Amino acid sequence: MHVFHIRYRNTQGTLMRILNAASRRAIDLPYVQAEPAEHTHKATLLLDVNPKQVGQLCRDWRAIVDVMDVRSGAPIKDFWEQHASWATAGGHPPAMVASGQARPASA
Amino acid sequence: MLKGAEIVLRCLRAEGADLVFGYPGGAIMPLYDALAGSGVRHILTRHEQGAVFAAEGYARVTGKVGVAIATSGPGATNLVTGIADAKMDSVPLVCLTGQVRSSLIGTDAFQETDIFGLTLSLTKWSRLVRSIEEIPEVIAQAFHWARSGRPGPVLIDLPVDMLKAAMDFRGPVKFHPHPKAAGAHADAAFTDTALALLQKARKPVALVGAGAKLSGAVKVLRALLDDLQIPTFATVHGLGAVRKDAPYYLGMVGMHGTRAANMALHESDLLLVFGARLDDRVTGDPSRFAPNARVLHFEIDPAQLDRVRPCELPIIGDLAETIPAVHHKIRRSSLPNWNDWRSLACGPDRAEVDPRGFAQPTKRFLDELFCRLPVDSVVVADVGQHQMWAAQRYRSSSPRGFVTSGGLGAMGFALPASIGIQLAKPDTTVLCVSGDGGFQMNIQELATVRRLGLPIKMVIVDNKYLGMVRQWQQLFYQRNYAETDLSDNPDFVEIAKAYKIHSCRLHEEAVTASLSTETARELDRFLQSPEPELLVFDCHPEANVFPMVPSGAALSEMMLEED
Repeated sequence: MHVFHIRYRNTQGTLMRILNAASRRAIDLPYVQAEPAEHTHKATLLLDVNPKQVGQLCRDWRAIVDVMDVRSGAPIKDFWEQHASWATAGGHPPAMVASGQARPASA
Repeated sequence: MLKGAEIVLRCLRAEGADLVFGYPGGAIMPLYDALAGSGVRHILTRHEQGAVFAAEGYARVTGKVGVAIATSGPGATNLVTGIADAKMDSVPLVCLTGQVRSSLIGTDAFQETDIFGLTLSLTKWSRLVRSIEEIPEVIAQAFHWARSGRPGPVLIDLPVDMLKAAMDFRGPVKFHPHPKAAGAHADAAFTDTALALLQKARKPVALVGAGAKLSGAVKVLRALLDDLQIPTFATVHGLGAVRKDAPYYLGMVGMHGTRAANMALHESDLLLVFGARLDDRVTGDPSRFAPNARVLHFEIDPAQLDRVRPCELPIIGDLAETIPAVHHKIRRSSLPNWNDWRSLACGPDRAEVDPRGFAQPTKRFLDELFCRLPVDSVVVADVGQHQMWAAQRYRSSSPRGFVTSGGLGAMGFALPASIGIQLAKPDTTVLCVSGDGGFQMNIQELATVRRLGLPIKMVIVDNKYLGMVRQWQQLFYQRNYAETDLSDNPDFVEIAKAYKIHSCRLHEEAVTASLSTETARELDRFLQSPEPELLVFDCHPEANVFPMVPSGAALSEMMLEED
């Protein structure tokens, strides 16, 4: 697993272009987080990629107009363990009970 | 107060776009309503794909940004192939699409399609306009990104209510991009390393791609190559960048490249790449591509580096700047004597063998056409066997003289692209070479040719097959010619007549022996006519393109002719 930190301006489609670079290579996206970071935005992606793909992805991301910075590295152990639980947290779609509880009973 | 549509047109003019190609429809109607008197000349094609290919053709020969316009929904989706083509071949292109009104977006309204989302992976940049106030800035940005760095396609999606709305317009704006971290350039460290690699090399070669032309670096590249005198070859998009009579020039490289070029590349120990992506049609099996060579890659787009083959020294930047920097360093240094290597690689033992087999008449026919063309002519090839024959036989020093859909390989490209080229260069001879399959993919553009009276010279190499697919079926699928038979083709001569375009037919027997006076005269008349002309050349159904490197093989494993 590699972790990637991408700083970008949150303009139309920029996050989708970032994700497309992975999805067009049929790379699963087990963990993605996008959030504001100071005056820009930051996306963190955890991807199972080989060294060649690391290079290709970083170069593709840097070529996106509103991507400002790309960094990659092996994720720290805690990071992965903390977020690995997401993958086993439950099925998709989420259980209906959540929305059912939020609504008043209809009858 | 100006309407959004009028603002769009004024901004187009400000960007130098006075010729655009398109096809009207519901959501883009306000733009068409504002066209008259805008100073923007609009060319109506007969299909949106024709419009986008014509805009590409215009951009490819002028270096300016091409503009294509379509309505929402099917109009927009019909642009997609052209957008993909422009991305692959680095063509500056701005596409304007109408969109349903803002309040309907996302409701699956009539002729609504998410063209912004559809083209995200194809465009360099795109915008769905959300307010009329955005329009000047969006258009300025679009043109900036289309033409900057590695050129490419951008898209602006314009909801119809934005085109109808009005605002106080203060004039076009200039776009100032945020500065990006600079990539590596040809600074002292790089030029030192480049020199060291050259000084160690015993068998250096140079590979020239489209980037050399797009950067306007042809002159400095030729100067460098003239000093190096190393075996040099070109990709299909690099054709014309090297002087055709340079003693070190070996023609096209790759799947259907010359034997000499492929052998020199395979044997090399240093490969200088000038603005080429090194795609699979050039490399063959990447693990056996130039197996003994180090790679020195001049490239403006870092995303193209290491895609297929790692390079030892990337020199990132505009080739018009990086080549002179390296050249300056080399001029002041001594280099090995590569005469023996050049004599071997460019010598008579590796010269092209006179073509045999069923393809010989077609190659001779193309030779006869090409040798009659004025120096500044443009040859536009469609996609397929005729494209490769044309690329193999084309010898010109005109950097933008050979145009084709090289990366995407989009059949149907040549005829509409020729329209854009002829409009950009009204006094130039434009020779459009198609196959019988590709020509029918945008045959409706004969109406555009006729309407505008464009003197395009159209050739159909008619083998009554989807020839390149059939060739692969013959060689790799045990002659199972599944769904490639086009023997029920219409009579193209009669079709042209229906469009009021003069047409004629030439059988391959007419060029098997020495050309008769009558045939020579007909070819002269065809090329010199001030009117559009169509010539159908009947080619042998089983003519094949050789040399050929089978898919997945190394360049050294090329097939020179049929067994």
